[in-house]
Amino acid sequence: MTTAASVHQPRQPGRRGPRSIPAAEAGAALILTGEMYGLQLDQLAEVLSATPRQARAVVAGWVGRGLADSRVLSAGPSWVWLTRAGLRDCGLHYPAAPPALSRLRHIRAVTAVRLALQAVPAYRDGAAHWRSERRLRSRLRIASRDHIPDAEVHWPDEPAAAQAPGQTPPDWAGECWAIEAELTPKTITRTAAIMQQILTRTGDYGCPVAEARVPGSPPRHARVLYLCSPEATGTVLRARDMLGHLGARIEVRALPATAALETAP
Amino acid sequence: MSRPRAAGRGVAATAAKVAGAFAGALVAVGMLPVTIVALAGVALAWHRGWPARRLYRAAAWCVPMLVVWLAATAITAHSLGPALTAPQLAWTAITRGRYVSAVTIVAPPAIPLGLLAAGWAWSRRLAAMAARSGGRTPAAAASFDQRQWRHQVRSARARIAAPGAIPLLTANGDFVAGAVIRSVGHRDRPLTRLPSDRLRGHQLILGGTGTGKSTLLLRLWAGFMANGLARHAAGLAGPPLIVILDCKGGADARRIADRTRRVLRDSGARNVAIWPDEARLSLWDLPVRALVTTLVDLIEHGTGGAAYYTDVLEAIVALAVEAPAGPPAGTADFLARLDASWLALAYSAAGFGDQLTLVRSAARQVPDVALRFRTLFRRLGPGLDGPGGLADADVWYCILEGTAEIPVAEAQARALVDLLANHVTSYVTGHVTGVRGEARQVLLAVDEFSAVSRRLPIWQLYERGRSLGLAVQVSAQSWHGLAAREDDRFRIAATAEGGIWLLRTPHPDPLVALAGMAAGVDSTRQLAGRLRWRRTGTSRQQPVPVADPELIRRLDVGQAAYLDRGGATFTQIKRVVAGPAALPGPVTRPGPAAQPRPAAQPGPAALAGSPPAAVAGSSPAAVAQADLAAAGAPRSGPAPPAGQAHVRAALPDVSALLDEAFGPALPSRAKGSRVGRSERS
Repeated sequence: MTTAASVHQPRQPGRRGPRSIPAAEAGAALILTGEMYGLQLDQLAEVLSATPRQARAVVAGWVGRGLADSRVLSAGPSWVWLTRAGLRDCGLHYPAAPPALSRLRHIRAVTAVRLALQAVPAYRDGAAHWRSERRLRSRLRIASRDHIPDAEVHWPDEPAAAQAPGQTPPDWAGECWAIEAELTPKTITRTAAIMQQILTRTGDYGCPVAEARVPGSPPRHARVLYLCSPEATGTVLRARDMLGHLGARIEVRALPATAALETAP
Repeated sequence: MSRPRAAGRGVAATAAKVAGAFAGALVAVGMLPVTIVALAGVALAWHRGWPARRLYRAAAWCVPMLVVWLAATAITAHSLGPALTAPQLAWTAITRGRYVSAVTIVAPPAIPLGLLAAGWAWSRRLAAMAARSGGRTPAAAASFDQRQWRHQVRSARARIAAPGAIPLLTANGDFVAGAVIRSVGHRDRPLTRLPSDRLRGHQLILGGTGTGKSTLLLRLWAGFMANGLARHAAGLAGPPLIVILDCKGGADARRIADRTRRVLRDSGARNVAIWPDEARLSLWDLPVRALVTTLVDLIEHGTGGAAYYTDVLEAIVALAVEAPAGPPAGTADFLARLDASWLALAYSAAGFGDQLTLVRSAARQVPDVALRFRTLFRRLGPGLDGPGGLADADVWYCILEGTAEIPVAEAQARALVDLLANHVTSYVTGHVTGVRGEARQVLLAVDEFSAVSRRLPIWQLYERGRSLGLAVQVSAQSWHGLAAREDDRFRIAATAEGGIWLLRTPHPDPLVALAGMAAGVDSTRQLAGRLRWRRTGTSRQQPVPVADPELIRRLDVGQAAYLDRGGATFTQIKRVVAGPAALPGPVTRPGPAAQPRPAAQPGPAALAGSPPAAVAGSSPAAVAQADLAAAGAPRSGPAPPAGQAHVRAALPDVSALLDEAFGPALPSRAKGSRVGRSERS
């Protein structure tokens, strides 16, 4: 991977020097950008734990090396996404394209959910792995009728932190969660059908059709985490109630405040 | 005077024949490459059982080679002269021992010409045999035909054995049943292809035990599912649904059901429900009016003097179902309502004076009606008591014990057809999905329906299917097993616009007659002596059946004749290979979640119209939950009561993590927000 060792900002007189971004952090942010279709600059700054100015400098470096492209696609900060060369360098075999304009709200919301989860110590201690929608879709060789969740979170059975003395794995270790960011309300029936599809699935995405739902096999997703906008909350809750006891495996929370896409004045 | 003249004519004729043969031999030798190709073509056509068209088509495919050869000659020699002298050049090359060069020079013109000659000669041979004028004896034509049939079967079997040679659907969505053995009146193709609209029309399948009927049916169902999914994905129609009524029952039905599940999963069906063994349907989801009619029809009742009791029965059922509290939620609820005091209490409110009078006048008959329904539901079992609906699965394989318990199977068939009709109607109106949608592509496949057709004649099923826009596929082991009366059988066969599939059956004549006749030539031969016949005789045109009934009686396993629009295609059916059977999961101690909960007893709550308590059943959702309980026993707990479905069961508590990331959980709005029966009623 052709990432810079670090990104240095020139020291300006009278100002405290900017923190240099380690190459490992910048590389991880590059991969995350590829996994999430694209990021808005403020979210990238959050990923890098840097100021927007520093994040912009990092992006400029990526753009200069042809790894990424950046443009203003919506109101608010500009978006950054990986080019074909950037995806290749990250080892991601996805088609290179800028984020679709119609999906910008959704992409931002899912990224906000990911960042909110990653900020929790229990997530890091559990060594959870985020499997993005883009990765799930890339495994499908043919068009699937099944609903694809916005992400999966895998909790290893024995995270590395648990091997330290005094540390134990979380109770939910070994589980796989489906993540759904719900911005606009669908019909209750449709939402319930999606919930049922996710909860009854037994096979991985991209597996043969016959293995997608095998009676007697354990379900793939132990639970589904719905992050809802205020508009969609009612529908999701009612759809969960429709499912009866299956609904016990559905958690419904509000989307983080940073999930909203800035709208033009 | 006349004898010498006649003798002279005979000598002249013989001389002319000899001269003609000699000239033909000269031409054959002179054009030896063409002759060799023609002989090889005829031999290949005989060996493979090809029609002459196949050779002509092969010749046509050689035209590009000929064109390229001529163009290359014209470009290199600036003239087409060398092309005309190719045979001479080839001879020269042979005399010099350059055989490869000779073949290269002569092949471009010799192969297409040889194939054309072979096609002409083979067509003459076939025509002579079809007119029964070829061969040494009159029986030669019959033995030639049998031999050619064997060759054609061998070719078709070789074709279906080749991996990937027989797809389920072609690129344009046509269904492929297998390899063509022989076609009469249909377009000659190597594969038996049916346009997709044939799959969506009524079809008839007739074949005895062990003839490959199940294999054919499975392929047809898989084709319908794959085609339906493709059409749905293209936005041309609603999602497909297959409902199979196996009216024989028994262990064999279970075996076929398992095979059907595996085959249709591979064709794209997400879930295949086997009723009543693994899944249930709810009769009580029917609209109120339809529910009354269905419940009355489930009870066997007579005509004439018995019509009075039928009217009483219908009145009491209508009172119980149309009570102000709403329709019954289940069998137990309905049976509890068949009580005079319950009915009187239900209609005691103001505005129900007429009904209350009716309840009082029919009070004496109510216990009798209740007794009949109690007996009926005990025999029917829990299969129709829900929960579950046809929308829960893509395929429903319904097993009716039509040979062991005929009255029960008849009632089940009646109820299932009513449920299907209601599902089709309500899907279009949006009661299933919440959105007005395109009609589902529904295939109703009934096997041996005559076993249960006493109360629902099969032609009525046909007509009802037509009015609802669903395809009905009727299969039976024999012509007489199709329906009880000859009129009904003909009515079914004559309206099978999707075509008729005939497998080996001893009595194919009625269906063969429906397929029609084609013009044929019959020739006579003059007997010249003991086992000697002259070439002279007469020929006359006469109609012959498109599908030879003797051929159908001799069909082997996996062979079928497809009759459609005045033609017949004999086909070697390609077996659809199912995935392996699922291995049983790990044996775990059943947790409390897997235990069925008893049905809620009706009481005052039912009178007040409260939603019924959930009954643990085997709808796909419930099956999935049971799977979860069986496979991940530590995570599952007892099913929570209705209305508190979201209450966390035995899953580890992740609230702390989620609270930290996203804030507190959102409060449920479940109270009074359940949709479904309350909205419907």
